[in-house]
Amino acid sequence: MNFWSSSRARASGAAMRGVALLAIGLGSAVPALAADVIRIVSPYQTTTLDPMRSAAAGNIETYGQLYSRLLRRDPESGALGPALAESWDISADGLTYTFHLRDAQFSDGSPVTANDVAFSLERIRSDKKSAYPAPLGAVESVTAADPKTVVVKLKSAFAPFLGNLEIWNMGIVSKADVEKQGEEKAFSTAPVTSGPYAVKEWKPNEKLVLEPNPHYWRKGYPKSDANVEFIEIASPETRVAMLKAGEVDVMRYVPWAQIDDLKTVENIDMRLEPSTTIYMTLLNHKREPFSNLKARQAAAYAIDNKALAKAVTRGYAEPANTTLPGSIDFHDNEYPGIPYDPAKAKELLAESGMVGHEVKILATAAATEQQMALLLQAQWQAIGLKPVIVNVDGGAWWDSTGKGDYDAAANWWYNETPDPDLAVRWAVCGSCGSNSYNTFYENPKVDELVEQGTTETDTAKRAEIYKEIQKITTEEVAQIPLYYAPNAVAYSKRLEGIKLTPSLQWTLEDTSIAK
Amino acid sequence: MALLQLIARRLIQLAGVLLGISIVTFLLLHMAPGDPARLLAGDRASAETIAVIRSQYGLDLPLWRQFLTYLMNLFAGDIGQSLRFQRPVSQLIQQFMWPTLFLTVYVVCLAVPPTVALAIMSARKPGGTADQVIRLIGIAGLTIPVFWLGIMMSRLFGVSLGWFPVSGYGVGISEHLHHLFLPALSTAIWLVPVLTQSLRAALIEKTTADFVTAARAQGASEREIFWRTILPNAVLPTLNLLGVMVAFMIGGAIIVETIYAVPGLGTLMIGALLGRDYYVVQGLTLVFAMSTVLVTLAVDLLTAFIDPRVRL
Repeated sequence: MNFWSSSRARASGAAMRGVALLAIGLGSAVPALAADVIRIVSPYQTTTLDPMRSAAAGNIETYGQLYSRLLRRDPESGALGPALAESWDISADGLTYTFHLRDAQFSDGSPVTANDVAFSLERIRSDKKSAYPAPLGAVESVTAADPKTVVVKLKSAFAPFLGNLEIWNMGIVSKADVEKQGEEKAFSTAPVTSGPYAVKEWKPNEKLVLEPNPHYWRKGYPKSDANVEFIEIASPETRVAMLKAGEVDVMRYVPWAQIDDLKTVENIDMRLEPSTTIYMTLLNHKREPFSNLKARQAAAYAIDNKALAKAVTRGYAEPANTTLPGSIDFHDNEYPGIPYDPAKAKELLAESGMVGHEVKILATAAATEQQMALLLQAQWQAIGLKPVIVNVDGGAWWDSTGKGDYDAAANWWYNETPDPDLAVRWAVCGSCGSNSYNTFYENPKVDELVEQGTTETDTAKRAEIYKEIQKITTEEVAQIPLYYAPNAVAYSKRLEGIKLTPSLQWTLEDTSIAK
Repeated sequence: MALLQLIARRLIQLAGVLLGISIVTFLLLHMAPGDPARLLAGDRASAETIAVIRSQYGLDLPLWRQFLTYLMNLFAGDIGQSLRFQRPVSQLIQQFMWPTLFLTVYVVCLAVPPTVALAIMSARKPGGTADQVIRLIGIAGLTIPVFWLGIMMSRLFGVSLGWFPVSGYGVGISEHLHHLFLPALSTAIWLVPVLTQSLRAALIEKTTADFVTAARAQGASEREIFWRTILPNAVLPTLNLLGVMVAFMIGGAIIVETIYAVPGLGTLMIGALLGRDYYVVQGLTLVFAMSTVLVTLAVDLLTAFIDPRVRL
């Protein structure tokens, strides 16, 4: 966001008055960190507390604190383990999953039953307002066999199914409460939760205050009885100031330029945490110039993504070599990627007949997006394209890319699970409803491989399939991979055991406060 | 009697202003690209999901029907629901209103005394040393943007020295004063030179007015002339300017509120604009328009109180 304004400054009179007020101000005690609140400051907003309703960044971080899923990932090893489901059996044909629930309770003390689980999963899967039903795409039916047993039937064997049940929107909600209050009301202020925390107070557009859920199934957790505040602050300068002044404990999304500075601050732990985030530039395959394969390849050869990654992230991110995130399963580390070769780029562009063609680059106001857009523009100009940058805000960005009214747009996405199934469906599959992340890339061969990857259960064979997908989509330049970025998060050293996992979940329940 | 007429006239004006403003903002908002449903559901929601959300909130209806519904609700006293948060807009505005109002009053308290002092110092001897210095500092300050000054002050007084919080609003009056000091100061620093120049000019102009000569001829002392004759006459244009500025601050404290993370109306406005939260933007615009009209009315009443001619 840029809000420029002219202004005027002057000193003496106001400064003198300032000193007078300063004295008053100092009298009222400098706000030290209250011992019993963990404060997290993030640019991402919580806009709904209903786990089904949104897949936007701020909400998915909140869901994880409010709702338990059937399974959970160990924050240390990343391995899948039991959560609300104590154990499960998988039929020999891989089509039937039977989950045995533990004795767990919701935040209002009522038991979590198989009915609640079936109800929750069913609304994610088939409610029309569900923001992200894709992880349950293979499910045929979810039924409660008895109060403690849930049976899930699949249409076909689906390798990553258990992992998908762990995703943030798979949280279990109280059927009784939602039916009693109605959907809107049940989630509007303080919903009945099944996770480590419950909502104490929600001030939309400002902050969300959570308190430990006394009925949480993991006894002894959250480790700390502290409340948690998610504070929403858009300006990165303000977030840094708050962290340095000790007003918050955790700062989400540290800008690259601030990392070195924060590393030198004594009581701050500046971390670069593994993520499944990939930065790339979308190309619009629906219209010229990038409907032309050679023009896309030319655009890709023209980009020096090693230099770009270094310039934008100060060397904190790895240059990307394929269209998929670098840390997901079956990522092809061996693949050479698209080298920087301006001579070849010019040649390919000449062959495509798109020399001098205008390229509309969409960019939002965030610093990283602006830098990427400028670098793309410079490098494409150098090979003879005519790039123009069009600045828009987030709302207009989605509008334009969704309609295909753009040529290129540098952006990022991340994958919820280590398994690549959802990633390929999102980014490169033309028949999966995502329009290959609004690029309108479509290759029937790739779509077929995507389906094969889903049903194949043999790991070695799956690795081959995803390798093939990466090869085809990178060669055909479905998108131009730029770099794999870690999550830059700064923590106060008084917190122990906290981190942001690659699935964008805070390990708050395992966090304790050093005395 | 004249006062009542003034008030009545303004209230009629208010209705017109509100209607005009709501039509313009409604059209601007709906014609701007961007879809609240998409921003609500997130990147990965399918087109079908988006369509369902749109129809649930009536966003798929023709514009004129949406506007008509909005107007009908408005007449019934309902300014609508936030699309993002499923809460009444009035509740959101109430939540975010107090920090902004507090800040505005705070700024006025910080800005008015130095303005009067500096303007008098300047006007005592136009072109003298004090006048030059004050003007120079004022003009030098013209080049410092609020956002830069704000960031620098929050770094120095908040982070390095730890005297003031760099964010938030606090609980209770003393905390409000403490939390909002830097934001108020940043704004006052910008406001004081503007007001000072206006008041100074008026003071100098009035020194040569006929009524001053008349007062002098009647044998009033210079002191008496200044406080009783020149100052009250000179204050009026500056008061009007201050009124405009106050109205502007209620609606435009966006930069300062963003830098110091003050949960005020400016912050709410930005969030609502970026999230295409139509009814919140509409509601806020109405509040801003209304406060502008009311502040101007208050200034006019004050003027009438100071200047009997207006009452005639």
